[in-house]
Amino acid sequence: MKKNLLVLLIFAALLNLAACAGRKPAVYKKTKPLMDTLVTITVVTNSEGEAEKAIDDALSTIDRFSGLINFFSDRSELAQINGDAGIRPVRVSPDTLGVIERAVFIAEKSGGAFDPTIGPETRMWDFPKKIRPPDASIREKLGLVNYRDILVDREKSTVFLRRKGMMLDLGGIAKGYAADMALENLKRNGITAGLVAAAGDIRAFGLKPDGTPWNIGIKNPRQNSKADELIARARLTGKAISTSGDYERYFIEHGRRYHHLLDPKTGYPAGGCRSVTVISDSGLYADGFSTAVFVSGPEKGMRLVTDAGVDALIIDKDGGIHTTPGLKGLVTFEDGH
Amino acid sequence: MQLQDKHRIAVLSAYALSLHGFEGLLPTPIPWLRLGLANIITLVALMLYGFRTAMTVTLIRVVLASIFTGTFLGPSFMLSLGGGVSSAAAMGIAWAVSRSFFGPVGLSLIGALFHNAAQLALAYLIFIQRFEAIMIISPVIILIGAVTGLMNGIVGGLLIKNLSHE
Amino acid sequence: MKTVIRNTTCADRLLFFLLILASCAGIFISREAVSQSSDVLIEVNGKPAYTFPLAGDRTVTVNGPCGPTVVEIKDMKVRIREASCPNRLCLKEGWIAKGVIVCLPNRIVVTVGGKSAGSPRGVDAVTG
Repeated sequence: MKKNLLVLLIFAALLNLAACAGRKPAVYKKTKPLMDTLVTITVVTNSEGEAEKAIDDALSTIDRFSGLINFFSDRSELAQINGDAGIRPVRVSPDTLGVIERAVFIAEKSGGAFDPTIGPETRMWDFPKKIRPPDASIREKLGLVNYRDILVDREKSTVFLRRKGMMLDLGGIAKGYAADMALENLKRNGITAGLVAAAGDIRAFGLKPDGTPWNIGIKNPRQNSKADELIARARLTGKAISTSGDYERYFIEHGRRYHHLLDPKTGYPAGGCRSVTVISDSGLYADGFSTAVFVSGPEKGMRLVTDAGVDALIIDKDGGIHTTPGLKGLVTFEDGH
Repeated sequence: MQLQDKHRIAVLSAYALSLHGFEGLLPTPIPWLRLGLANIITLVALMLYGFRTAMTVTLIRVVLASIFTGTFLGPSFMLSLGGGVSSAAAMGIAWAVSRSFFGPVGLSLIGALFHNAAQLALAYLIFIQRFEAIMIISPVIILIGAVTGLMNGIVGGLLIKNLSHE
Repeated sequence: MKTVIRNTTCADRLLFFLLILASCAGIFISREAVSQSSDVLIEVNGKPAYTFPLAGDRTVTVNGPCGPTVVEIKDMKVRIREASCPNRLCLKEGWIAKGVIVCLPNRIVVTVGGKSAGSPRGVDAVTG
């Protein structure tokens, strides 16, 4: 009889175990093409329905925001600001105003290494088609690049570009800001842990179901093989990470690499670095400063990150690695680096 | 074959068929869940009259049941035949190896296991051809098979005891 | 009840326990394994359009904003065979057995290898 009870008990325990398995927190993930890239949102929750709802909500927030600041769409608020440059101030939504204000802040902080008015220059390049604008045009448009000519009126919620032909291009911070917005949205929907990745602009919060921080791979700017080869990995929680690299959009002509990270002072691709990864509390700053540091080059860039209070991993044009002390313990390098 | 044997096979097959039919009438929580009550008869036949009788009874049961339900030579008949034959064969081998190692419960469990394994393999070959689907369902079916196999083994054991007392 | 237990041999009981344990373990293992099984998921504009097992050759045409894109599954590998997007970067990806092929202009994402496909070597996301 005793033995029989034991059998029953073990059986009941096993059934219980099976029933509980469905209720422990799990990772839910969804990817959508947005903002001309792939946005992946990962959340940790114990209900699939909740995850689905929160992720969809956050994705549609990004979709809405990208509609406002899309450089290539004629109907975006950004296009209106650009179209009315030198003519009249344009009334914009708080999100657009916010991202432009912060873009100006990063431009000031970096002494113009990051400049959102780089639009007239970026417009002339076409990296997939390997189109390099003539030197004369690059020099000519350079006069239109100056963040000091952005007038933001907070009270009236307007933005005005002082000279005709000026163009805002928020590509350098938009994805980081989108990740911030999506993350706030997830939190409002009761999510306590997750990961928002707008391509390489990533924000992590909370912990994984196993209680460990999120593992973020940092790509090696010079890939030996086709698979995403990593140079390091970062363990993050409550932080944002962004990378600007000369390998994302580029072409090679006569042995020279032309990439999308243009120096606002010259109009040509900045040559000091291969890639810059910045870790910050905000996605927008991580995104913006990674561009600013890339353009500044390793030495000035290091001073900039120390000054701005963010952490960075810089791989210079010769493959040398520079890091801030704050990265110790956060970032581990792969073998051979 | 003795007349007595034929008589015995006929009676056992009739029992197996009626249990098979009866089982089909029972409401089950999951549509494809079968109790395998007919296996009780195979078990009893094996332990009291030997492997030949058990296998013959199984074959008769499978063929007649499918003729009655109009599925003879159809896919579900294949499943039923494969399950029945491999189950009877596995029990027969275990019984032949040692008569004291496994009791009726153990034999019934072996029968249930091989019945399910054969059906899963056939289902994979005939219908599904999706390995993951089979992987997911196999342990569940084997778990249920262990429980029903246990019950059938107990009932079969009691039956054998009573029959051999007479 | 007592007589029933006495009627079972040690082997009987052992077999029962083993079956229960093995099948319970199997339920967990198979659930884990299948969650990262090799399926080919084709998404258009963020919505799943098709899911196919990687084992099973077939060719399917999906329509995105730029027009049709032809996805081919063969010998446990996937590729984009024809595309109507402007840059055709997706064609250059060639055959993959695991991972993702993306056609941004046509908003098509082909994922092979389940949920963990996008995270190589235990990484949750990649920057750069």
